[in-house]
Amino acid sequence: MSFWLLMLLGAVSPGQPSYEKANELFVKQKFPEALVAVEEALRLDAKLVPALTLKAKLAMAANRFDVARLSLEQALAIDPKAAYAQFLYGMVAYMNNEMREAATRFQKARELAPKDPRVALYLGLTIESVGQPADALALYEEAIRLERASGQEQADTLLPGARLLLLLDRLAESERWIRQAVKLSPKMRDAHFELARIFLKKGEAAEAAQEGELALSLPVGSVPDSAIHYLLIRAWRQAGKPDRAAFHAGVIRAKEN
Amino acid sequence: MFRILILALLASGVVPPIQFEEIAAKAGLRFELQNGEAGGFHQIELTLGGVAAFDYNNDGCADVFFTNGAAIPSLRKTGAKFSNRLFRNNCNLTFTDVTVEAGLAGEGYSMAVDAGDFDNDGFTDLFVAGVKGNALYHNLGNGSFKAIAIPKAEPRWAVSAGWFDYDNDGWLDLFVANYVEWDAAKEPRCGPLERQYYCHPNAYKGLPNQLFHNNRDGSFTDVSMGSGIGKQIGKGMGVAFADMDGDGFTDIFVANDSVRGLLFRNQGNGKFEEIGLEAGVALRDDGHAIAGMGADFRDLDNDGRPDLLVSGILNDSFLLFRNLGGRLGFEDYAQRTGLLMSTRQLTGWSLGIYDFDNDGWKDLFFALAHLMQLDRYLGRESALPNRVYRNVEGKKLEDVSASAGEAFQLAALHRGAAFADFDNDGRVDVVVSAVNGPAKLFHNVSSGKSHWLGIKLRGVRSNRQGLGAAVHVHLADGRDLYNHATTAVGYASSSEAVVRFGLGASLIESIEIRWPGGAIQKLNHVAADRIVEITEDVEP
Repeated sequence: MSFWLLMLLGAVSPGQPSYEKANELFVKQKFPEALVAVEEALRLDAKLVPALTLKAKLAMAANRFDVARLSLEQALAIDPKAAYAQFLYGMVAYMNNEMREAATRFQKARELAPKDPRVALYLGLTIESVGQPADALALYEEAIRLERASGQEQADTLLPGARLLLLLDRLAESERWIRQAVKLSPKMRDAHFELARIFLKKGEAAEAAQEGELALSLPVGSVPDSAIHYLLIRAWRQAGKPDRAAFHAGVIRAKEN
Repeated sequence: MFRILILALLASGVVPPIQFEEIAAKAGLRFELQNGEAGGFHQIELTLGGVAAFDYNNDGCADVFFTNGAAIPSLRKTGAKFSNRLFRNNCNLTFTDVTVEAGLAGEGYSMAVDAGDFDNDGFTDLFVAGVKGNALYHNLGNGSFKAIAIPKAEPRWAVSAGWFDYDNDGWLDLFVANYVEWDAAKEPRCGPLERQYYCHPNAYKGLPNQLFHNNRDGSFTDVSMGSGIGKQIGKGMGVAFADMDGDGFTDIFVANDSVRGLLFRNQGNGKFEEIGLEAGVALRDDGHAIAGMGADFRDLDNDGRPDLLVSGILNDSFLLFRNLGGRLGFEDYAQRTGLLMSTRQLTGWSLGIYDFDNDGWKDLFFALAHLMQLDRYLGRESALPNRVYRNVEGKKLEDVSASAGEAFQLAALHRGAAFADFDNDGRVDVVVSAVNGPAKLFHNVSSGKSHWLGIKLRGVRSNRQGLGAAVHVHLADGRDLYNHATTAVGYASSSEAVVRFGLGASLIESIEIRWPGGAIQKLNHVAADRIVEITEDVEP
């Protein structure tokens, strides 16, 4: 059956081709072009929920959370069961530090998509930030379980829980989670940085320095260079190598001036 | 019956709870801190509230001085409600407002205060820091103060200040912690019009701190650049002093807002080296710069080395660094003691490390309040009750706020806090300011029969108040306790210069004082449960 026939039957939105084009452009990170395409899709069908959702994603990428919120509110008004739109709606609140609202929205998203590990993860992050570490840890564990069940375990999902375990002084458990993250993503700087922190906490300064230097050499991650340099200052000093510590202190100071 | 219960608790190792009653109104300590807010979301509205506890008239009873705000944008004290205030302690837990006769109503938008006898005349003077204007008040010894000239410098926004003798010449010098460049007319706007909020400190440019050398004639010389202090840019909030490495020279820690903390090691030659990174006190353990607020620099685990406590804002956690000595620097101690997780949901301003139950382990007090407008975002009130943590043998910090008294549970926008024993009963009390609300006086009513000692130092070769002197008390039960003389405690505030010790059930075997410069003075079998005045022993 042709597209036009499906459209005439009402099975396909007239904006669908433009939306699909926009989505492809978004995946290729061609955001301005994707925006043009998604606007075209919405001109053809203002109620196309995937297009409204994609428009919100594009707005979020441009830090226009106000536009994203409006777009998602439109999408959810059309389809209250649009799970991904609901998740992004939670993300908008989360990114704006509106944690009470974020928790409510993520809870709803979790009802709509109980098997989505992302929702469990971000609900965990949200409620950890408002002071419920035990509940947050349970959600991190759930996110990991869901990923394992789908065979798509990711290092990124392990790290928030590992960091929380470290804060709770559950060093051995934290180390186990971090080592699993390193195994999954051997080139992830954040995982190596966290492992270096564990070593330093355990008094294994030379190992901490080695892991820290490795983390610094890895480009991909959210841990800033300054945090790694700071760790390396302490690790090298404790390892009896003040010259190496001084080098890292010098790097931080040079960036301050 | 009650005494038997206390003795039984002590014998069983159960320490009676730390408890406070709030008596400000009853004591006549009626003061409301006014931030002058009028909907402009000016950053200065957030950060005021310094308090001083000091004995201005030498009657042996700690008096109270409150700094206060002003109208915005004029930065003028346009009415009595903006006056700074001095309250004389009548030595019976009541206070009398003596602001007018003391001449301390002040000018401008005041932020912070530190008390110190800068001219060694035996009467404690006041430095009041503010927004684009500081003031130095000389205590004339007759109940009044006279504003005297201070070095002209570019008007800045100072949030804390402290007296200390950095060159051990026997005269107190002045450190001023400056925050950010600010101009009411250029206040950045953050958030949409209908949901405006106070901007993050990142929206403002940081400032260097200042150091003024005392010329011994009532004048001061700005030595900020030559000493190295002024070369470091920060967003200074709390300042605390201690001789962290036992070399006889006082070092400086500055808590900065959203940028790393600064630790200035006094090299003993008039110069300071900034070693926060090397010492491991610059950032949180994960490398994150917290919004550092108050600081205190005292030995928490009775090992003779001053440790460092810093408050921060929501989701920062408060920082506690244990001084390991030598090249090892400091280690994160907040996590192991339970403080890190326990304070993660708090925003702290002033603080202090004092032994509230006199058991020989110094406890923690935090003046708390979230930033104003936070309720819109987190669904919680900005006002918070304060917190007190009991030090469990230097290994754990236990939040005992819930049992600290009914009034202790009341929330407010707390800011400054100063520590002193206002009724000379041996238990440390706390006076706390609150933005746009009444000040609080937390009278320490903790039960128990622990012994205590207060040491009032009188320097001869050293500065008159002995600020910077380190005191080591050796107890008959074999324990060793350490503290030092400083008035720069917490956030924007100033506490009594008396060096205090809780002794638990033990009595004192010996006391060793290391005066600024390193001279050692020893005393044996000093009686407990009193304030003793110790004059520096100087050979002719």
